Amino acid sequence: MDESALRYFASQGDTRRVNAEIARLRALYPNWTPPSDMSQLSGTVTVDPIIDRLWNLYKEDRIAEVRAAIAERQSSNPNWKPPEELTTALETTEARRRLTNAFDSGQWRTVLTIATENPNLLTCVNVDVLWRVAEAFVKTEQSDRGRDVYTYLLTNCANPGERLATLQKALGLLPDNQVADLLQFERKTGNEPDNFDSIREELARRRVERASNDEKMTATAEDLAVVERMTRNSDEPGPVLVLAWYNYHHGNPARALDLFKTALNRKGGNKAAEGYAMSLRALERLAEAEAFAYDWRDKAPENMKVYLDVATALLSQDPPPRLEPRIVARIVPIVISQRFPDGAQALGWYAYNTSQFQTARGWFRQALDWRADDEPSAYGLALTTQRLNDRAGFSTIVAQWRDRSERIADLADGTVPRAAPQRIPSVQTAQPADTLPQVPMRPAPARAETSRTVVEASSLPVETRPRTVTVETRTGARRGCLVTRNPEGLAPGAAVTLGWCLMEANRPLEAVSAFDEAIRRGGGRTRQEAAYGKSLAYLRKNLTSEAAVAAAQAPQTGERRIELSASILSQRAVAAYRNGRYVETILALSERARIVPEQTDLMLIRGWSYYKLGRYQDAEKVFRAVQRTGNSEDASVGLNAVMEARIPARQ
Amino acid sequence: MRSLVGRNSRRLSWLLAGIIAIAAPISPSWSLSVQSLNVVGTLSPGEWEAYRSHFIEDDGRVVDNANGNISHSEGQGYGLLLALAANDRVTFERIWSFVFTELLIRDDGLAAWKWDPKAKPRVTDRNNATDGDILIAYALAKAGAAWKESRYTTAAQKLARAIGKNTFGRDRGSVFLLPGAEGFSAGERPDGPVVNLSYWIFEAFPVLASLAPEYEWNRVWREGVELLQQATSGRIRLPADWISIQSRMQTKPADGFPPEFGYNSLRIPLYLLRAGMTDLEWLRALKQRWSAENEGVAIVNVVTGSIRERPNDQGYALLSAALACALDGTPVPGQLKTFDPQLYYPSTLYLITKSWLGEKRPQCV
Repeated sequence: MDESALRYFASQGDTRRVNAEIARLRALYPNWTPPSDMSQLSGTVTVDPIIDRLWNLYKEDRIAEVRAAIAERQSSNPNWKPPEELTTALETTEARRRLTNAFDSGQWRTVLTIATENPNLLTCVNVDVLWRVAEAFVKTEQSDRGRDVYTYLLTNCANPGERLATLQKALGLLPDNQVADLLQFERKTGNEPDNFDSIREELARRRVERASNDEKMTATAEDLAVVERMTRNSDEPGPVLVLAWYNYHHGNPARALDLFKTALNRKGGNKAAEGYAMSLRALERLAEAEAFAYDWRDKAPENMKVYLDVATALLSQDPPPRLEPRIVARIVPIVISQRFPDGAQALGWYAYNTSQFQTARGWFRQALDWRADDEPSAYGLALTTQRLNDRAGFSTIVAQWRDRSERIADLADGTVPRAAPQRIPSVQTAQPADTLPQVPMRPAPARAETSRTVVEASSLPVETRPRTVTVETRTGARRGCLVTRNPEGLAPGAAVTLGWCLMEANRPLEAVSAFDEAIRRGGGRTRQEAAYGKSLAYLRKNLTSEAAVAAAQAPQTGERRIELSASILSQRAVAAYRNGRYVETILALSERARIVPEQTDLMLIRGWSYYKLGRYQDAEKVFRAVQRTGNSEDASVGLNAVMEARIPARQ
Repeated sequence: MRSLVGRNSRRLSWLLAGIIAIAAPISPSWSLSVQSLNVVGTLSPGEWEAYRSHFIEDDGRVVDNANGNISHSEGQGYGLLLALAANDRVTFERIWSFVFTELLIRDDGLAAWKWDPKAKPRVTDRNNATDGDILIAYALAKAGAAWKESRYTTAAQKLARAIGKNTFGRDRGSVFLLPGAEGFSAGERPDGPVVNLSYWIFEAFPVLASLAPEYEWNRVWREGVELLQQATSGRIRLPADWISIQSRMQTKPADGFPPEFGYNSLRIPLYLLRAGMTDLEWLRALKQRWSAENEGVAIVNVVTGSIRERPNDQGYALLSAALACALDGTPVPGQLKTFDPQLYYPSTLYLITKSWLGEKRPQCV
């Protein structure tokens, strides 16, 4: 028998290896008794210097050099053999290296083969090897055997740090129920008892997490309490987020909101922001939700999705909210760049409910462009074309949809009062408000222009406009235009942007000079956009004839041309009426009625103009028509006046 | 010629016309055979020491100093073969230790090809390179026999089986060598199968065939000769390093690689000489091209014939000198006789060539 290794380890004072070696020799030679005194052992060492060198190289992990030295010795002395002990140690080290390298390259079968061929590797001395073997089992779909390795380790190995790390490894690889089974090996007694609480917490956190996104699954009170405790015991956003989502999906958005706020403060990032915006929305705090989600919209696709949902909900409120122009204006380019049909539909209803029928029609068409089977948008388009007297448009949409949508068919048959459409529960959209438009149409003879939110300016989706540019410049230049700037020398695109910005700031005359700059220097589409902007600016200032000139400065798209002409003609009519030029008023209104339907306020002007011209029969017809639209108060004032005017004639 | 069976007749007629036109330079491969080499003791201690101290570390790693000091299975294979040629068991043992513990970790038994000391994990590409596998298996087999070391023979046999099992490609009745176990076959590339003719280390085939006789080594090496003859039958008469053999009778440069007779293919004549396959008519044409009065050893575009580069290390010059020695008995010029190692690759080619000259053509050196 060979005691060389034992003597060598003893001479090195390596008690751990000495004991391992004694155990090994005992197993091999049951009758052998180890020397009782180590000093005696090392004292009697008569080591061959080459062997000493070999062990030294081995201890330094210079395996190739040990092999080389053995080969060197054998080439001079072919009968020489290294101590068996050394050979075994060497093979074990090589196996360990190969196993580690194979593991690092994901060669799981090699890991398992090496482990099988070198069972002496699989001891508590090499916990890392055991972990790798367990993982290789799991990766080759033998997770039960992986669990067996962890079980072996927890049964046999004593180091508490390694025992806890074993469970952490298991958490990453085994199904949760198998990890929970391993908790039974926790040692509560002894010098170094285990503490597996962190594993229990993690398992609880996972159970709550699984329930957190599924309203049909509930977590136990204990698990929830554990996660609550976790949120208090660390500054990590993770557990807070789990709890926040759990509350969100289990009917407690107010608590969810607080938790998402905490998660945000703990750098919970995009997910926290997403949840925060969703909670605000669930609490119906839509304006806040929109403002918050806007700042996060570009962080991740999920955040963009939330922004679009929130913005859509904001626009779709019933009755329609009074929104600041800047809010609507920032929603528009995002809806366009994201090609979001629900958003287009919501803008359609918003425009519809604020009596901007031209614009509404454009948005409903846009929504259908992006999602051809969007029934609510089709319904919106049907209603809008009807309101606009757009017979061709109406019959087109009815023809496409009457077989698919009962309410569109009803609309065509005239069986449903226009103002009370039914809701479609499955789609979150606004419907036309039951009340009459709250905001009068441009031009509003009796009200200030500024109270209107303009959805139309710059925002009509024109398929061919370079969308992304629109979005960037529109949002980028917001802050820049509040200081008065000379637009001269600006690039045409920037001038247009400045123009729209000034329009938003309700400084139309400055906007005109910005648009002028763009008209002077820009080409095709920029020029067209600038001319359109300039017309709107003049309209806003009631400089009607200038508006007409500006509109002619660049060829406009059909939609826009109609919209501009209609606006210009109505301003003309109103101006003429105010100056008592009633024939001109009627002419302007008739010209306008050829391209767009006449809305109530203009019908009244027409009625009063007939009245002033003494055409009482015509005036009565018009006032009766106004009465039928439900606007009975104004109509009856007119009708009474007509009656009164006729009485003297019967004397 | 037997590969023409089963093609449609219209195609057959013009193919045959092509064959007849180029039939003259092609010598039938079945008249060729592989001669074996001793290898052991064919390098002088001084030359080996210069190489060893330049390129081999204590842990047995062969360092490619022109390539960010990485190592690869090919370099380890050459290192083993040169250590055997120098009869240096100690270094052989070191190099093998590195191969065994660091590269032989693939589930299929082949060697991972790329190892970078600066990366973690060190294996940065775990694909194999079939020429590296062949060199390692061949060197192990020769060493096992020469030094009567069963560890080497056993390892050689394992690797030979892995090569036969995983790198022999099949396509419409032919069997050939895939450059790697993955990524080169007909199903894996639009222009597949793709081969590299310099991966056929002809002298190794009979040796590996005796270790793993269940695989068709003989067919594969013959296919190598036939493909070489196909690929050198064009106007320029040089094969590209990477060749699509989708149409076996009309090989063409593979997509995504430069269409060049490059640093890979430079080795083909050396492998032919070492295997004793000097009857190939193409070697004569190449000797002509490589001679001093002509263009010399060069990297050439195989489509246009234009020269991209003339590598000037003595290792490349010795390739041409060995060819002239083998075909005409021309002695190796004096200035090439002294080994001056600079870069791993040409220095390796220098010694592999020198070892062969020492064994088979001592009169030239």
